[in-house]
Amino acid sequence: MSAPAVLLDGVTKRFAGHTAVRNLSMTVPAGGIFGLLGPNGAGKSTTIRMIMEIYLADEGRVELFGTTHGARALSDKLGYLPEERGLYKKMKVLDQLVFLGETKGISRGEARKRAGEWLERLGLGEWTQKKVEDLSKGMQQKVQFAGTLLHDPDLVILDEPFSGLDPVNSQVMKDVVIDIAKRGRTVLFSTHIMEQAERMCDRVVIIARGEKVVDGTLAEIKREFGGTHVALTFSREKEKAARVLADRSLVASVDDYGATADVELAPGAEAEALLAALVGEGVGLTRFELVDPSLQAIFIAKVGVEAATAGRREEVAA
Amino acid sequence: MNKVLSVIRRELMERVRTRAFILSTFLMPIFLIAVLVLPAVMMSGGERSSRIALVDGTGTSLGAAIDDGLRGERLGDGEQRFEVTMVPAGGRVDAVRDSLVALTGFSAKERPDGFEGVLVVTPETYTSGTAHYLGSNAGSPQQMQDLSRTLSRVLMRARLDGAGVDQSVVAQALVPARLDADRVSDGKPTGQSGMASFAIAYAMGFLLYIVILLYGQQTAMSVIEEKTSRIMEVLASSLTPFQMLLGKIVGVGLTGLLQLSIWALCAYLLASQRGTIAGVFGADPDVVNAIAIPPIPADLLVIFLAYFALGFLIYGAMYATIGSLVNSMQDMQQFIWPVMLPIIIGFFGMIRVTNDPNAAMGTVFSFIPFFAPFVAPVKWAMGSMSPVELAISLFGMVVGVVVIAWLAGRIYRTGILMYGKKPTFGEIFRWVKAG
Repeated sequence: MSAPAVLLDGVTKRFAGHTAVRNLSMTVPAGGIFGLLGPNGAGKSTTIRMIMEIYLADEGRVELFGTTHGARALSDKLGYLPEERGLYKKMKVLDQLVFLGETKGISRGEARKRAGEWLERLGLGEWTQKKVEDLSKGMQQKVQFAGTLLHDPDLVILDEPFSGLDPVNSQVMKDVVIDIAKRGRTVLFSTHIMEQAERMCDRVVIIARGEKVVDGTLAEIKREFGGTHVALTFSREKEKAARVLADRSLVASVDDYGATADVELAPGAEAEALLAALVGEGVGLTRFELVDPSLQAIFIAKVGVEAATAGRREEVAA
Repeated sequence: MNKVLSVIRRELMERVRTRAFILSTFLMPIFLIAVLVLPAVMMSGGERSSRIALVDGTGTSLGAAIDDGLRGERLGDGEQRFEVTMVPAGGRVDAVRDSLVALTGFSAKERPDGFEGVLVVTPETYTSGTAHYLGSNAGSPQQMQDLSRTLSRVLMRARLDGAGVDQSVVAQALVPARLDADRVSDGKPTGQSGMASFAIAYAMGFLLYIVILLYGQQTAMSVIEEKTSRIMEVLASSLTPFQMLLGKIVGVGLTGLLQLSIWALCAYLLASQRGTIAGVFGADPDVVNAIAIPPIPADLLVIFLAYFALGFLIYGAMYATIGSLVNSMQDMQQFIWPVMLPIIIGFFGMIRVTNDPNAAMGTVFSFIPFFAPFVAPVKWAMGSMSPVELAISLFGMVVGVVVIAWLAGRIYRTGILMYGKKPTFGEIFRWVKAG
């Protein structure tokens, strides 16, 4: 088995007054998509910056591809999209990408060729000679994304790659990420949007307040979390469901979305009993399905409602 | 190394393409033409004769001698400098003066028989040298100087005459000294006049000052731009702080050198074609050609470039470091003095050396890496620096560059990723100490 792409062993990072990451160990295997999840302020970006050798860990060990040479020495094999996006505003799009390619060790001619291909693929073919400042924010983000991938890195590290993107661009980026993984490269990305991570990642680590709370493949995590989960979609008389859902002998917890709800059954309770009770109350249902626990549900259970919703509120505010 | 080259190329290309660079590069030669041509135009058009009434209250032959002396003054084109109307005052100097003053200060059109000024000479003029002038041009230093010079000469002649000195001796005595100063270097005359080497040295020192100040500032701005546009983190993941720092300083420095070379080339072309250019603007080519433009010896050029390169490495590194500490141009003021101070002191050292090439201060300064770039080329140009001194000075510069680069690198690598509050000097000191 080849060496893991990234290995963190007991890594700690302190800033004046607080510990951003505490004794964090995790392994990102080579190949596939790895999600680093957590609410805002959990230490995701700090962790990524330590992997990228932008911050040095106060304690612990960071290995990349089985070596401790550090990210800068291996820079040509790494692609990095920082959380704070940034490009030279006055530079032309193509020149910018060629320069970014050169700093990753590919020749000028090759960089020019690949930059052209990437811009075409991301729908920016007509913008190559425009200055970056003339592009919309979404376009700038795609340019930077292309710059991250220009040198075809073995390990791609994306810090919140989907934040600030509209659904169309988000889809384009997702397709690219999936494609990179298909070609045997490793992708590590951070996000606080669980739905996205659930659909894309092979493995995830959830951190909160600088500490790891969940680690494993999606299947492992769900199996371990356990419980019987039911997804409901109401068609009418939803308010009549309230009494049933409040019955602690039947229902352990409810995540109410209004028209839908995710229900975790109480230990020992049968799904059939819940269905019978709901139908008995006269609630109209279009969906009643036994499901795996959602990553969202696991996240909230593990991180705590407070931390999870704090993250959500900030997201809405932003 | 290739990565450093690509950083250098980016800095150079992006800078050269800006409107500011193109404008400043090509406005300078136009400014040079103006500097060259304007004085010539002014000189040929600005000089004209002035009409003066001479109130002679001396009662001796001194009045006539002054009249003669003023009439003898010529302009460049051979015209009389002063059109003099002598009015003997008899015993009523004040009355005569006042009646003439009443005719003074009108334009020639309004009063063709008027005067521009009234010069009153009395017996006291002979004894104490005082004379009184009332005129519309009393505010012109040039014309007052001409007048005073002529008066002085006439008075000197008259007094010597009065003391019984022979006329031919007087004429001989009044011939002024003319100093022919030739520059000597390493025991050999260089064939350059002292004035010429002063001009070269002064121009060089001034150019170094301007370019280091201007382009040093640009280095800082470039770092701040990378910080505010947040591209720094991408760069920091691909390049070492040293690669970033070196590429940036060399790139910006080369831009400065390119601009300097274009200016130098324009200046050379202007200088060699100055007569023709002046002719185009209607100025007298001979007047322009009379301004001596000395040739620049090859050794001086090489030394100038060496000090520019080393000096820019030091000051560029300092400016870049300051840029890494702040988030905007305004914030720079707090940290700018450690770099502004040596530049200004160096510049004043340079001026001191142009006045007195052998001054002890200049010698000391030429061995201090911060000041040497301004002082040493000037000292060399003026022939007051030996090759051994030059070698020591250059070696000192190299040591200075290494030390500054080391310090700058340590501060830079932390500074570039710091956002928000400005660090204190204590914190910066800790960054330097941190392994």
